[in-house]
Amino acid sequence: MLANAWVIPLLPLAAFVLLLAGGRRWKEGVAAWVGSIAVLAACVWSLGVLAVVPGGTGRKMEIPWLSLGDTVITMGMEVNRLNALMLLIVSLVSFLVHVYSRGYMRGDERFSVFYAYLALFTFSMLGLVISPNLLQFYIFWELVGVCSFLLIGYWYYKPEAKAAAKKAFILTRIGDVGLFIAVILAFWHTGTLEISGVIQAVQDGKVEAGIVTLIALLIFAGAVGKSGQFPLHTWLPDAMEGPTPVSALIHAATMVAAGVYLVARTFPLFEASPVAMDTVAYVGAFTALFAASIGLVQNDIKRVLAYSTVSQLGYMMLALGSAGYTAGVFHLMTHAFFKALLFLGAGAVIVALHHEQDIRRMGGLWNRHKGAGVLFLIGCLAISGIPPFSGFFSKEEVLLSAWQDGRWGVFAVGVLASFFTAFYMFRLFFLVFAGEYRGKGQPGPVSSGMMWPMGVLAALALLAGFAEFPGGWLSHWLTEETGIPAGHGSAPVWLPLLTVSIAAAGIALAWGMYVKQSVSPEQWRARAPWGYRVLLHKYYVDEGYAAVIALPYKGLSIFLRGFDRYVVEGLVRLATAAVQTAARVSTRLQNGQVQTYALISVIGLVLLMIGLAAGRLF
Amino acid sequence: MPVTSYLALGAILFSIGLYGVLTKRNAVIVLFSIELMLNAANLNLVAFSKFGLHPSQVGQVFSLFSITVAAAEAAIGIAILFALYRNRGTVEADRMNSLKG
Amino acid sequence: MQWNGEFLAFFLLSVMAIGGAVFMIHFTRVVHMVLALAFTFLSIAGIYVLLHAEFVAAVQVLIYTGAVSILMLFGIMLTKHRTSDHSDSRSRHQLLSFVGVAAFFGVIMWVIYHTPFSGGKAETAKYTVANLGEWVFKQYVIPFELTSVLLLAALVGAVILAKKERDA
Repeated sequence: MLANAWVIPLLPLAAFVLLLAGGRRWKEGVAAWVGSIAVLAACVWSLGVLAVVPGGTGRKMEIPWLSLGDTVITMGMEVNRLNALMLLIVSLVSFLVHVYSRGYMRGDERFSVFYAYLALFTFSMLGLVISPNLLQFYIFWELVGVCSFLLIGYWYYKPEAKAAAKKAFILTRIGDVGLFIAVILAFWHTGTLEISGVIQAVQDGKVEAGIVTLIALLIFAGAVGKSGQFPLHTWLPDAMEGPTPVSALIHAATMVAAGVYLVARTFPLFEASPVAMDTVAYVGAFTALFAASIGLVQNDIKRVLAYSTVSQLGYMMLALGSAGYTAGVFHLMTHAFFKALLFLGAGAVIVALHHEQDIRRMGGLWNRHKGAGVLFLIGCLAISGIPPFSGFFSKEEVLLSAWQDGRWGVFAVGVLASFFTAFYMFRLFFLVFAGEYRGKGQPGPVSSGMMWPMGVLAALALLAGFAEFPGGWLSHWLTEETGIPAGHGSAPVWLPLLTVSIAAAGIALAWGMYVKQSVSPEQWRARAPWGYRVLLHKYYVDEGYAAVIALPYKGLSIFLRGFDRYVVEGLVRLATAAVQTAARVSTRLQNGQVQTYALISVIGLVLLMIGLAAGRLF
Repeated sequence: MPVTSYLALGAILFSIGLYGVLTKRNAVIVLFSIELMLNAANLNLVAFSKFGLHPSQVGQVFSLFSITVAAAEAAIGIAILFALYRNRGTVEADRMNSLKG
Repeated sequence: MQWNGEFLAFFLLSVMAIGGAVFMIHFTRVVHMVLALAFTFLSIAGIYVLLHAEFVAAVQVLIYTGAVSILMLFGIMLTKHRTSDHSDSRSRHQLLSFVGVAAFFGVIMWVIYHTPFSGGKAETAKYTVANLGEWVFKQYVIPFELTSVLLLAALVGAVILAKKERDA
């Protein structure tokens, strides 16, 4: 089972090939079954791998791919405990999303294409997780980017979807360039592309400290692009133009976590460089607060969740930067479950409301869709950090690692962001499920095929926390024989009290504003209208990019177009005009009159004679 | 008299004839000019029959043949002109541009 | 160069020939041109006499001054054209022609005056018509006969070409 773990990614790949071959001839059900079964098989296999994977460096298998001089570039797989955990998370969420999509995408014209894309993405993501070397990792890294592009732009006839797909592709590319440079630098300075080899070289002190910092920072640049950290976060909310299952799978649970996974995978590199650690922690903390504050005022149900995702990814980065390796991975896992749950819940709401996404036109769904309401509530409680839901444990770990690392500022920011999180999640919940229905028409039904994947995720969101608590089993399991410190002993007693009370305060405020209506949001809005506007416009980051980068770029393009049109094309025109003039002159000579021809002959004869005579003279 | 004088005379007449061929619009005049050029050539032949490297009367024989051929040429040329005139109604050389294709 | 009779005769005859040619070019009335050309031909016949080619001179007078000039007159009379020939719209063509011909003339003259002619002494006493007849009918009898064939062909060709087309 373990030795053949490389088969796991190939199962979705086979499904992808089948779906491509089957194409539109297959009915929706067949396509859904093919995709789901392949991913289910991958999921079961991953579970088996997880059960038997040894600690430390795990199991590695490689075949040579290219030899360049003395260096052999290999392809293969590496399964250690981190990878095995990621394998399970990815394949499990992917399987549930596959099942869910059967209901969500019902009646779509390109149904089998959607499943083919999903399968391709699952293949790429699983391949990314088990890559043993940086080059292979980078290939799969780009592949998931392509799948993300394809799936965001799935409804390509919508101009917003097209623009969002392009934006996602281009913005992540900025980070990818950094990652690629990091790969090249690592190869240059260590002579190997193996992740374990690079880490070994760094730990043996074979690489200068400055270079290590540079490599770590460039890797982090790739992670920033993929995981939507500030300042490359703007693509992630726009990516919500894709179908909701895609948002759940790619833009909440798996692909955006790839950046966090990358940092975790190369964690010893970061540990070797305090500067890189600081950068990761501060960027993560800033993003957590920044995105959470934007989430406070958004009105699109998926955008709220998107900003929440950005914020939670910031949390994970914050944890990793504060030396909380297990905290980051733990939060990655719990977040994958509860955020996928929230997105699927949002998808159910959207389907029930006939593709209405504005939360101001929702409300009162609790009575009509109690099942969805309960599941969504579980997700909200988990992300807000209310015990015993998983988010409570992982968030506490994150804050604890910041505290123990001595980063008071980061800790404070995390606590504040946690307050914001609780507030905006329950603002969302109350606006959607409480009060009176404010939309038009009647909410429709939600199929059971969409409900039970949510149920599985809800169970995981509820229980995943107990992987770590009590006893720190997960951290022990993850760090066994790896040399990475498991962390932190026990938390001070006041920390859980603080986080719970903060979360409760956020929930209470949301309750007061949107259910009891004793606190008026309008009043707050009126008190600081500019603040509200800044938040509503997401701190004008998009507009800033447009002004600072897009506008000069456009100016340059216009200049270059002018250069091309008038200078380059002018030269071409000049050449053609010269030839044309010459041709016109020579056609004038060909006027059919014998005397002209005779004159030319005479002139030619004279020139010939002069030439010959001159030749004799010299 | 040196031979150069006769040759120079021949060259002058030839050049005048050539100029006439190139510039005259009336095809009959063009034919005249051609005759003039032929005469200039004959003049050279006869001059060399007296002053040549191996002077002999053969030069005169050649000029006789040349005159004969020139006469035939003139006759044919005039006949062609008539035919052209009948077809196109003109003997203006610059109107004859069917070579233009 | 001495002022003997030969030189005087050559000078007069060449002036007449060149003058006739120039007039031929510069006259505007076509009939005048024919007359000027006939004058030139006659002068050339005189030059032939100077060169001890009396028979050629006679042939020149008969064929050129007589036959060809009359033929040309027929040609002029049988075709319609403006009585005067003036080339107005082709000044550039004329200029180029003049330049080209002048250059040609210059080159030829340069060659003539820079070539050393070391001719032998001609036995002009032998240049008689009888001798000429011997040349023509002995050594050059085949070209002579071919010329007759050529003349016949030209005769037939001229008749056919000049015939009206509907008769053909």
